[in-house]
Amino acid sequence: MHTSPGELAQALKQEGYMIDLETATTLFLGLYLKKPCLIEGPAGVGKTHLAIALAKAERRKLIRLQCYEGLDITKALYDWNYAKQLLRLQLAKTDDWEKIKLNLFSEEFLLARPLLESIRSEEPVLLLIDELDKSDEEFESFLLELLAEQQVTIPELGTITSKANPIVILTSNNSRDFSDALRRRCIHIYLTYPTLEREMSILSSQVPDLTEQLVQEVCEFVAKVRKLPLQKLPSVSESIDFACALKALQKDKVNYSNLMGLLNVLLKYPKDIVKLEERLKKWDSELKVRMD
Amino acid sequence: MNGWDFLRLINGLRQASIMISSEDVRDVQICLDRFPMIAEKQIMKALLIRRPQDLIMFESVWRIIFAANLLGTADDAEDSTRVINIEDKNSPSIGGQGVGRGFGGISLSNSEGHDVSKDLTLKINPAKLEVLMNKIGAFDDLVKAVLADMNYYTWINSYELDYQRGSLTEEEWYAHLNLRSSIIDEIRHQVLALQVHKENSWQPLARQHFLVKPLSNLTDLEKSLVKSSIRKWTRKLAVRPGQRWKPTTRRGLIDIARIVRQSVQCNGLIFKLSFHQRIPRAPELIVLCDVSNSMAPFVEFLIFLISCFKRCYRKIRVCFFIETVWDVSDFIWDEDFEDIRQKITSWGHKISLGYSDYGAAFKELAENYLVNVSARGTIVILGDGKNNYRSPQKEYIAQISERVKQIFWLNPLNAEEWNDPDNIMKHYQPFYRKAYRCRSAEDLLKIVRDVF
Repeated sequence: MHTSPGELAQALKQEGYMIDLETATTLFLGLYLKKPCLIEGPAGVGKTHLAIALAKAERRKLIRLQCYEGLDITKALYDWNYAKQLLRLQLAKTDDWEKIKLNLFSEEFLLARPLLESIRSEEPVLLLIDELDKSDEEFESFLLELLAEQQVTIPELGTITSKANPIVILTSNNSRDFSDALRRRCIHIYLTYPTLEREMSILSSQVPDLTEQLVQEVCEFVAKVRKLPLQKLPSVSESIDFACALKALQKDKVNYSNLMGLLNVLLKYPKDIVKLEERLKKWDSELKVRMD
Repeated sequence: MNGWDFLRLINGLRQASIMISSEDVRDVQICLDRFPMIAEKQIMKALLIRRPQDLIMFESVWRIIFAANLLGTADDAEDSTRVINIEDKNSPSIGGQGVGRGFGGISLSNSEGHDVSKDLTLKINPAKLEVLMNKIGAFDDLVKAVLADMNYYTWINSYELDYQRGSLTEEEWYAHLNLRSSIIDEIRHQVLALQVHKENSWQPLARQHFLVKPLSNLTDLEKSLVKSSIRKWTRKLAVRPGQRWKPTTRRGLIDIARIVRQSVQCNGLIFKLSFHQRIPRAPELIVLCDVSNSMAPFVEFLIFLISCFKRCYRKIRVCFFIETVWDVSDFIWDEDFEDIRQKITSWGHKISLGYSDYGAAFKELAENYLVNVSARGTIVILGDGKNNYRSPQKEYIAQISERVKQIFWLNPLNAEEWNDPDNIMKHYQPFYRKAYRCRSAEDLLKIVRDVF
């Protein structure tokens, strides 16, 4: 357990995650109060990466539940092993009810899914419920018991309470809003695109071979692109990819007139690429006027 | 922070529609006590704010309580100055002069090419603001009046001209846009603070919630929140079984496959019978939108709402009208909703003179479009009912009303304005089933629950 937000930020930095002090403070308070953290923000700003880095920094085993539409408790919490139950019944091979009377709904026939696994774990774990916004509202309501009480209820077995108090991190890309009930149970962190300085330090740490000059140029260029009205703005992971692509092509500077092919690394929609190509021409001519 | 200020803050946030439970209050107190080295504001923000949009409200309440001295008497006007530091590298045209009157204005002095950081000073004169508040009721109009009084609009126009001429680079333009939003935020806050002060209640803050604000005054962020809420409401409806069922036996047909599946889970014993899920009969919907200038913001949200409902209906037709009707159904579903407002305006200019004529529109609908509408159809009309003193031609809406199952009318005006002399709502009243006000997201929610 870290004793201050600064210490937590330092520990995360050692695991390769740069966090600003304000976010570190919120996360620190969430950990202190043993509350789940709901991390929201656009895709690619490092929500999942933060959870992974936190698991390493806290020396906890990471258990991840990837959410999707239609996810239900049989995939997230538990299921009964029907094949094993049938086999067990067949093995009895007798008509005597007293002999075959077995408790088919005991732990022996239980299949633990990520949520149950994290609750039953003896060792400290970090439960990452990734992209919760992709799941249905029914699943969101189902999570309330786990988030508030760190326990789950299985009708056939009763209530199972957590042994090791897992850290729970939920992430969301804001594709839908959550209920007040879920939000009330969590500490909220909103991650957004990093500042120029922070992105430079992220890039330097992730791609150490890049020159300082190129790192700065890439970050300034990406920051400029983020101001454009695009469908999907480039995230940190895409700026890292862009820097790696420049390195692979042995380019030592960002030249507006010579970025064809590289824009696909940065942007994901053809419409956005066309928009940026138009802007690049404008920026290039502006730059030439300035140089003259 | 003393206990009284703490309680005022909690009360203010609750009044501003931010949910804070007793458990939250306890958590805040624990952390304030346990971590004195962390700023109080930071702790409260971290533990009480659960939505990014609530942050603005938190900042407002915090400033109103802890910067109360900013809102003193007119003598304190000099203190009621908020300084925003900007990096203004090349301020255009209106150089060397402070533009604006009354509220103190925006300092627009040109840095003459010097690359220096400059202060932009926003002063607000409470006495003058109070005079304006007595004249103008609506918050957004008040903010606009204050900005106009500061010559803010002249200032932004000069920048826009410079940008169009190419004398501003794109970076400078974006810096200017950021500055604009900072100025507006600051003025909004100061007006809000003064309203809270004057009314001696947090109601002015509560009125700023995106659910109760008029749809026409929403910011981009609030628009996306409203759309997100609409998506949520329609999603709930999509999973709610409808009332229209296929005529069949009381509980439907027995579903053998499902019974077998369930019995396998219960040691092969059949505990209950399962029935085939009955499919609601999909109805038809015809949406008729008045797209004259005053209606465009409301049309945007209704179209979005309809698009979310699309899968629940067998057939949806969307028609726009001003004095003539044009069918836009095919176009609407393929379009990006971000720029639909501009599209509506440009269509309107091409096809119409811009003056609504409900009588003519209903006549055209009855003569040309009604043939394709079945008796099961529901018509939803979105319009303010202002007919520019033209004939209501009631016989056509009567004909439509007989032909379809029901007509609902959605009107963005307040109910008392429906009886204005040029408003035809009173003439058409016998022909529609119910009229709803659809001015805010809250109204839309009511419509979603009642109509769809």
